[in-house]
Amino acid sequence: MPNIVIDDREIEVPAGTKVIDAARQLDIMIPRFCYHVALGSVGACRVCAVKFVEGPFKGVQMSCMIDAKDGMVVSTTDEEAVEFRKYVIECLMLHHPHDCPVCDEGGHCLLQDMTISGGHGIRRYLGSKRTYRDQYLGPLVQHEMNRCIHCYRCSRFYQEFAGYRDLGVMQSANRVFFGRYEDGILESPFTGNLSDICPTGVYTDKPSRFIGRRWDYERSPSLCINCSLGCHTVASARYRQLVRQEARYSEEVNGYFICDRGRYGFFYASHEKRPRRALVEGEEVAYHQAIDTVREKLAQISGSAGPEAIACLSSERSSLETQAMLKRVCQNKNWSGPLFFMEQSLAEKVKTATARLEPGLTVSLRELEQADFILAVGADPINEAPMLALAMRQAQRFGGRVVVIDPRPIFLPFDFQHLPVRLHEVDLYLSLMIKAAVDRETATELGPSAAEFYQTIPTLETAAVPLQEQIATLAQELRGCQRPVIVCGTEVVPQTTPALAADQVLLLKAMDKQTGLFYLMPGANTFGASLLSGDDGSFSTTLESIEKGKIKALIVTERDLFWKYQNKQRLERIIEKLDLLVVLDYVDSETAQKSDVFFPVSSLYEAGGVFINQEGRVQVAPKVYLGGTPIKQNSGGGHPPRVYGVGIPGSEPRPAWQVVVEIGNGELPPDEETAFATTRKWLAEGNPVFANLPPIDQFPDDGVRLGPALDVGSRFSLDWQTERHPKRNSDGLELILVDWTFGTEELSIYSPHLRQVEKEPCLSMHTSDAVRLGLSSGDKVAIRFDGGRVEASLCVAENMASGVIVMPRHRLLEWQKIKELPRIVRFEEIEKVSV
Amino acid sequence: MNKDDLTERFASILRRADRRARERRNEAIPTIYIVMSTCGLASGAAETKQAFEEALSDKDIGARIVPVGCLGHCYAEPLVVIDHPATGFPPICYHQVTVARARRLVRSYLEKGDPVFEYVLGALEENDLIPAVTDFARFNLEQRLVMEHCGRIDPDDIYQYIAAGGYSGLVKALCLEPEELIDEIETSGLRGRGGAGFPAGRKWRLASTAKADGKIIICNGDEGDPGAYMDRTILESNPHQLLEGLAICAYAVGADQAIVYVRAEYPLAVKTIKGAIKSAEGVALLGSTILGTTFSLNVSVFQGSGAFVCGEETALIQSIEGKRGMPQHRPPYPVEKGLWGRPTVVNNVKTLSSVPPIIKNGTEWFRGSGTETSPGTAIFSVVGNVKHPGLVEIAMGTSLRTLIFDVCGGIPNKKSFKAVQIGGPSGGCLPESFLDTPIDFDSLTQAGAMMGSGGMVVMDEDSCMVDVARYFIDFTQKESCGKCTFCRIGTRHLLNILDRITNGEGSEQDLELLGTLSEDIKLGSLCGLGETAPNPVLTSLRYFLDEYEAHIKENRCPAHKCRALTAFYIDLEKCARGCEVCVGCCPVEAIFTTRGRKKAIDQKLCVKCGECAVVCPPEYDAVLKVSPPELAPTLERTPDGK
Ligand SMILES: Cc1cc2nc3c(=O)[nH]c(=O)nc-3n(C[C@H](O)[C@H](O)[C@H](O)COP(=O)(O)O)c2cc1C
Ligand code: SF4
Ligand code: SF4
Ligand code: FES
Repeated sequence: MPNIVIDDREIEVPAGTKVIDAARQLDIMIPRFCYHVALGSVGACRVCAVKFVEGPFKGVQMSCMIDAKDGMVVSTTDEEAVEFRKYVIECLMLHHPHDCPVCDEGGHCLLQDMTISGGHGIRRYLGSKRTYRDQYLGPLVQHEMNRCIHCYRCSRFYQEFAGYRDLGVMQSANRVFFGRYEDGILESPFTGNLSDICPTGVYTDKPSRFIGRRWDYERSPSLCINCSLGCHTVASARYRQLVRQEARYSEEVNGYFICDRGRYGFFYASHEKRPRRALVEGEEVAYHQAIDTVREKLAQISGSAGPEAIACLSSERSSLETQAMLKRVCQNKNWSGPLFFMEQSLAEKVKTATARLEPGLTVSLRELEQADFILAVGADPINEAPMLALAMRQAQRFGGRVVVIDPRPIFLPFDFQHLPVRLHEVDLYLSLMIKAAVDRETATELGPSAAEFYQTIPTLETAAVPLQEQIATLAQELRGCQRPVIVCGTEVVPQTTPALAADQVLLLKAMDKQTGLFYLMPGANTFGASLLSGDDGSFSTTLESIEKGKIKALIVTERDLFWKYQNKQRLERIIEKLDLLVVLDYVDSETAQKSDVFFPVSSLYEAGGVFINQEGRVQVAPKVYLGGTPIKQNSGGGHPPRVYGVGIPGSEPRPAWQVVVEIGNGELPPDEETAFATTRKWLAEGNPVFANLPPIDQFPDDGVRLGPALDVGSRFSLDWQTERHPKRNSDGLELILVDWTFGTEELSIYSPHLRQVEKEPCLSMHTSDAVRLGLSSGDKVAIRFDGGRVEASLCVAENMASGVIVMPRHRLLEWQKIKELPRIVRFEEIEKVSV
Repeated sequence: MNKDDLTERFASILRRADRRARERRNEAIPTIYIVMSTCGLASGAAETKQAFEEALSDKDIGARIVPVGCLGHCYAEPLVVIDHPATGFPPICYHQVTVARARRLVRSYLEKGDPVFEYVLGALEENDLIPAVTDFARFNLEQRLVMEHCGRIDPDDIYQYIAAGGYSGLVKALCLEPEELIDEIETSGLRGRGGAGFPAGRKWRLASTAKADGKIIICNGDEGDPGAYMDRTILESNPHQLLEGLAICAYAVGADQAIVYVRAEYPLAVKTIKGAIKSAEGVALLGSTILGTTFSLNVSVFQGSGAFVCGEETALIQSIEGKRGMPQHRPPYPVEKGLWGRPTVVNNVKTLSSVPPIIKNGTEWFRGSGTETSPGTAIFSVVGNVKHPGLVEIAMGTSLRTLIFDVCGGIPNKKSFKAVQIGGPSGGCLPESFLDTPIDFDSLTQAGAMMGSGGMVVMDEDSCMVDVARYFIDFTQKESCGKCTFCRIGTRHLLNILDRITNGEGSEQDLELLGTLSEDIKLGSLCGLGETAPNPVLTSLRYFLDEYEAHIKENRCPAHKCRALTAFYIDLEKCARGCEVCVGCCPVEAIFTTRGRKKAIDQKLCVKCGECAVVCPPEYDAVLKVSPPELAPTLERTPDGK
């Protein structure tokens, strides 16, 4: 490890560390524009110049380009270097507008900081500034090219890091232009990062334009809850309105970036229609009145029909506190539930996943970037967890191979191998590939059950499947790799896949590989939900009990029953039968509208909360602001109305867990710390994995990874081959309901900006099926479901399995007309709609 | 490697080549060699060739027409060499052979045996009848080590090269161990001809010791310097010598792939080299298992899009990889991590073309030319104000004076020498006092210029050095890739300042800014383009400061070049009464008739196009140019506009 002296201080750094990073470790911040830890060095801006006094290089050199070497002595304060940096800035300012007061970046601009700190003030050169025409880049990012200092960060991020091609560098010399070939909405779902990384105001956050300066904002670290990865964000609020989210660096999870769904998905929090008053039978009432009403009614029902006539339904987007509190109250009161999932099969798959995520196998998102072979089964990263796609891209960029086994038309922003097989074949293909990569002896060493498991997998030759050769070559590569990771989805896959993936990872690990297992889950706190959910019944039995009149009251926290559940008609009918539907939420969902009693609750930004991401990482989001109706909404931007009263207007919502406590007649703890402390204690009593959670104010930045106990017994115990999905059927297509990056996620759909980048929902089918049906891309088709017709345009794709039809659970599609799942769509149920 | 087998195989190819040469000679019909490289074609060689063909068939004369590459005498194109053994004359070289001259040559020489002395440039061999070209300095001061066969053989016929001794270097090399081969190149002292003069042997050794598979050789034929065309000429005139060098290099470093990078603006070069690769593969001198050995080399051609900066090796590699041609920081050097991350040797066309003769004739022979630290020859394309512009190959160490005045014939039109710009846009301008500087890598760098890739522009007294600096900076600022701050913005401001000075708007502070900004650009640029871009400014500031000062302080352009600082006027003493030529040619009707029907220029209207000075009949020569413009006597135009 080289030893280097910077400004008279010595430091030892790993070989290959750039001098600029070595300085960073000494807390010396060498100026930089083009250098970015995630994007690496290019040596374009020349502002990181320092003086090399001793060692292999001499004189003024770029600290971002030179590896620290033994014997180097570097001065960052040397007069020549300081002078040089000043001239670099002078040069950049020659073409930069002098209008910081009206620039959207002003106040958090690296160029502004450097200009001031570098000491440049007076322009020595004459001549006009170079100017450009700005482009329309869509609703998320504002372009102002005159401010560009040509650090190439944007193009490097957009093309090299993220793998999209529609924004980049054009022209040369003094005319170098960063943008698109022509105006248009940026194609990548990672565009907001441009605003974060651009050191000046070329790309700025469009939705928050003209709202405030950074110093005006209440800013706080936060988390993204728009998917299960739990990326880190910084949220900003002003005038009681959440206005902006940026990526927050996380060593373990998202690195420097986040996706646009996460960044712009927060608009529900300050949505105009957000319910802020408690409602009883649709009438606004005071919070305590609503509590009293609920308590009274619940007591009645409990008295007449027993406590089990009251059922509770929690949610995957609730914080751990809310989930736990609901469970505690249920247990205390002997109410039914709580249930955490509406779909039983999903619940089971997720539970398997949480149980099988052994400590030695789990990898974080950042660790996944190091993989040299990624095998994704039943996962569609860009649509289900966009940042996963970005992490996989990094693995691929550095030489890793990515293979996806999935029936859907998968797109990833890099080269990968897609095995588009039917859902019921996913297990087989996964197993074939692993078997071909793992020796029998290795499997035998793992014990008799592993040996038997290995034995039952057919060999490539006997299986005689299509794509055989491709699998054989890939297996060969897998055999040679060092750090393979299996990414496994939990939504569309067969019941058996999560456990199978874990078994296969164990086999690979036995081949002396550093293996990883990475599950995807449907919600921000699905992991928590899974840890808390018991074995008591499923949502469908609950529905039956309601139909039979056994359950009379339903308490739903932070969930829209209709959002992700098929057969809407039946659900509506059943809910009608309830004596009491209590809903707690911060969005005005359909369920909320049907409630008898409604409690507005705080959003993540007002309540904070603990969330467990899909790898079992417990993370804390602090409060960002106090809440209340945005001033813009209650006064149209003018002076707030002169109403006299205590508290902030619109601040009635309180954390869901508090409402739960009060509904259950409990005592509210004196403060939140105590609340979390008791919750933590209670959780640990129920499940030892929670035993090591630190107090809420001592959580490390990257949270704490839970280590579920080894469930050795469940290893290799699966008989996946008998649990077959319906066989390929010749008279219809298997329906697969899927998520899309934009338009299917419950919270982000409230963002008016993301609505503009949503794609129009379409159905996808394989070319061969389309040919058979006489359909082609762009046709408008209708599917006759039992509950009615669903119309959408058709996308015909070559890169997907035949025999399936893929439909997004898009907000603009009434897919809930489907009655039963799984569902085969018969050919005669598909028809072309003439327009 | 079985040496006997190898030499035997080559011997059979050689026999075939010799047989063909013999057959040709035995045919005993005249041979007409027409220079058909780009310079020839641009001067009408294609028409000349057609004229020969037509005339020959009209007269029904049997003669063979052989298109050849460039001889370097671009001032004399289209050049034709006629070998008419029956007449007893040696092969004769004719200059400026237009269509009419071609017909006449057929009529007189081929038909009647009269060699038409007035078109003769010289005989190619010493003889008693016609002065030989070697009697001219332009020929005898040159030393053709690399370009020996250029213009003498048909570039599209591999056997002509082989018959002239070609590919025997490769055979010799294949009989050596790669190590020995590298030693040989190292002792020869061959330095890279692409600009920096890095020892080729050292580069090869670095690449050969790099531990990696799939090493690559790239021949750099990007040649973006304005006015330079040495590489193009070699590619068009003798592509096989380059390919032979490429193969030797590949064998030495253990590469199995080679890429010839040529700009797409050189369509003929692209076509020629592609054809050459094909024919070499056809006789197993390239491709897989060369001459039956285990050595294979796959050669392909990559066409660059013509950005100057893509000549820089790392940018060149980026562009082959399909990326933006932008230079990358070194280290890692291409020899460690080049194209597709593999060890890559990038050598210039001339460097690689020097290799076969070195191997064939030995290092002593090579070191016999040139100087201790810069052995061998230098190839320059000399352009500008010299009598005989063109390509010259001279021994390193020759003085600038010899090159300009003896080889290239000096300054035409009785003007005097002012400066020479060496090394292309990134080189420097040297004044008369440097004329005795020997041409070699180190002396030129010391003088503030550089070898560069071999562009040389000679300037006479009519060149304004501020304007020249402006011209080169204009080029580099346009060609900057746009990566580094100083190179992108700094050069632009150098240009702004020079623009102002040549417009008479400069201030004394500008001189200081020129100096400091230039130093910053040199220090703060990533690649050679930025590092050297200010050279023309710095050298002209150093050697011609008085010109800058004249512009700034006296509003005067000493060379009468900068429009804003000059004026045209008509000397009434000289103007002929009644002559009206200038009036008609002035595009803005600025010329009016004054007393005695003589002409005068309305300075307010004059746009200084200089047309009147051109058309004024030489016997009057009445249009004069002065600087500063105030020196021009003003004559009031009468209200009627006459
Ligand atoms: C701006 C710039 C342009 C260059 N253009 C050329 C070129 O056109 N041809 C060339 O051979 N080398 C050119 N070079 C030099 C190459 O980078 C490289 O040094 C050379 O090809 C190495 O070959 P050599 O060792 O045979 O000289 C250029 C360098 C710079 C900085
Ligand atoms: S737009 Fe911003 S990020 Fe891109 S090069 Fe310019 S300053 Fe850098
Ligand atoms: S010095 Fe100029 S040409 Fe070279 S990399 Fe920098 S900007 Fe590009
Ligand atoms: S940060 Fe080093 S050159 Fe830009």
